Amino acid sequence: MTLASAAESAEASRPNLWRMALIALCALILCSCRGPVQQAFDPSTVAADGYPSLPPAAYGSQPAVALAADRPIGPSGTQQPAPLPYMAGGPWAPPGISQPWPKDEYLQDGGDRELPVAVGNQWQVEGLEPEDCVAHFDTLDGRTLIEPSNRVYVYSPRFGAVRQVVSLVSNDKFSRAAGVYLPTGPVGPTSTQPVASSTQNILADRQVGAKLAGIFRSRQGDGAMSTTDKAREFEQDSFLPYENVKLIREGILDEAEMARLTRGATAALAWTARQAAQVILDETAAMADVSDQGLQSVFTVKAPPGEVKLRVIKVADKQFAEPGEEVAFTIRFDNVGNQLIGNVTIIDNLTTRLEYIADSARCSLDARFFTEPSQGDSVVIRCEIADPVAPGAGGVIRFRCVVR
Amino acid sequence: MAFKLRCTDTKELPSRSRVAGNLAMVALLSLAAGRLLAQESGVHYLHQGVMPPGAIGSRQLQRGGPLPGFFQPVEIRAPAGALVSLATAGRFDQPQPAPLCAGLLIGQVYRLRVVNIPLNAGREVFPTIEVIDRLYAPPDQQRRFAIPVELAQPDLQMALDGKFVTRVIYLEDPRSALPVREDPKMQNWFDVGPRRDPLAVADSLGRPVAILRLGARLPLPDEAADMDFLFGCPPWTRIPVPGATQANTGKMSMPPAAAPSAQKEPQA
Repeated sequence: MTLASAAESAEASRPNLWRMALIALCALILCSCRGPVQQAFDPSTVAADGYPSLPPAAYGSQPAVALAADRPIGPSGTQQPAPLPYMAGGPWAPPGISQPWPKDEYLQDGGDRELPVAVGNQWQVEGLEPEDCVAHFDTLDGRTLIEPSNRVYVYSPRFGAVRQVVSLVSNDKFSRAAGVYLPTGPVGPTSTQPVASSTQNILADRQVGAKLAGIFRSRQGDGAMSTTDKAREFEQDSFLPYENVKLIREGILDEAEMARLTRGATAALAWTARQAAQVILDETAAMADVSDQGLQSVFTVKAPPGEVKLRVIKVADKQFAEPGEEVAFTIRFDNVGNQLIGNVTIIDNLTTRLEYIADSARCSLDARFFTEPSQGDSVVIRCEIADPVAPGAGGVIRFRCVVR
Repeated sequence: MAFKLRCTDTKELPSRSRVAGNLAMVALLSLAAGRLLAQESGVHYLHQGVMPPGAIGSRQLQRGGPLPGFFQPVEIRAPAGALVSLATAGRFDQPQPAPLCAGLLIGQVYRLRVVNIPLNAGREVFPTIEVIDRLYAPPDQQRRFAIPVELAQPDLQMALDGKFVTRVIYLEDPRSALPVREDPKMQNWFDVGPRRDPLAVADSLGRPVAILRLGARLPLPDEAADMDFLFGCPPWTRIPVPGATQANTGKMSMPPAAAPSAQKEPQA
């Protein structure tokens, strides 16, 4: 049972190992696929500022090599060694990227760019895009063949700018009204409130007459009048508060002082001569607390009899051109096959930034030129060779353009 | 014992073939990823034109490539009569008539002083130039195909009027370039509104290579030599203009070891 369990677990873990290996591999690829290409450090590749990254050519310190000078262009097996013109090229290109690089700094013209060019039964051309330069011809056996030229690069960067203008509003302050003053007028006549009650003055019915005192009482003793105002015989010079009654001062019992006199009599047991009115003042103070590739495609013909081949080479007279400069192009075509070809037609759809100079096209053979607007607001130059081209024969076409 | 009920011939072979297929797919994806890396474009997806000077360039350096230490030739153009000077060692150089050609480091911000502006005598503008990408011109053609930075008269006038002008200079894609003939002395430009990002627009039209900003505040008298205002006075190379005679031709200007601002006496 133990061995069976071990075998079962081993069998069950086998797919897990594969899965774990796959996950580990994927994780490894994901971790490394976006990283920069690391190169071995070479002291000779250290830039002036000490960055050990790229060869000096990347910084433009080395002359460019003649691109593809030793590399003929043409289908496999049809090359023949021939000197090729110098082509513009930058000082450096990332590993795996063909020169010239970057492409956005070069004007490109020639070749068959994306969609392949096709020719119909009535020689109508389809698939001709800007920058395309092709030749089509008819063979003796009735076929219509197409041969693209090489691609020409002219270094001609052009710049534009995007402008944005903004204004500062920091000095402006927008305040909204805090309220509205709207005086309200009277909506109706003032109503008069009648008097709810009135007061009537009533005259007295009778007169109240004052009654004079009828009895005079006096105290008289020893033959002299005693008008004692103070109790001089006490320690104090004046009467005490509780003594301020007539009965005490003058000995006359007044009925208006009877309640006070009764209270005083009740408290007489507690009053002493030392007691007096006391005032307590609270002295506590109050506190107040707030931001160019110009290139010839040269073909070596080692074809059996009946082989048909047309060689089309396009070159430019400049490798560098600034906007406004004139660039002359030359297209050389040769029948490198061993058969007569006819209806040779060379078509060049100029790139957008090339402006064809009218009537500047010439051909060494009898030919007719036609121009028509292209999709890129440039022109398509069409050159129709009048006579058939014999094997080994060819011709030259020249035209001029202005770089926009 | 359920494994005994399974037929190993029918279970393991499909799983192994499935794993092998997955591995093959991963290998193909890794190859495709390598090709994509080589074809990676320089579009500034995460950057905006309103970012502070130096931010975009410094991040551009982090992308790799032959950018650090390369002095990209820049041709500074200005209206006739205007004088332009670059900051050197904590002070502005001798004002020179435009065009002024200089090699500027990528990712650095350079402060300029423009004086003698037509119709604005006595007034100054202190634009900044930030080079965020370089050109790969053929040998001996770097000077001829320098990046043109144009200080146009309308832009200078708007800067003097208190407006902030941003120009993102881009390299046109030749396949989508305007099919018009350009005056070599003028540069095609587009206006974008305040709510749009000029860097994003430039990205859509080509490859942004430099940013020009005008309309910054005027420095106070004690800030004219301040390293913060001059963005540290990064080094630049003087490139001779054909037909002009200059005493410091080819000489590289380097900032001093210590910034003047660091030499100030601490204030109590």
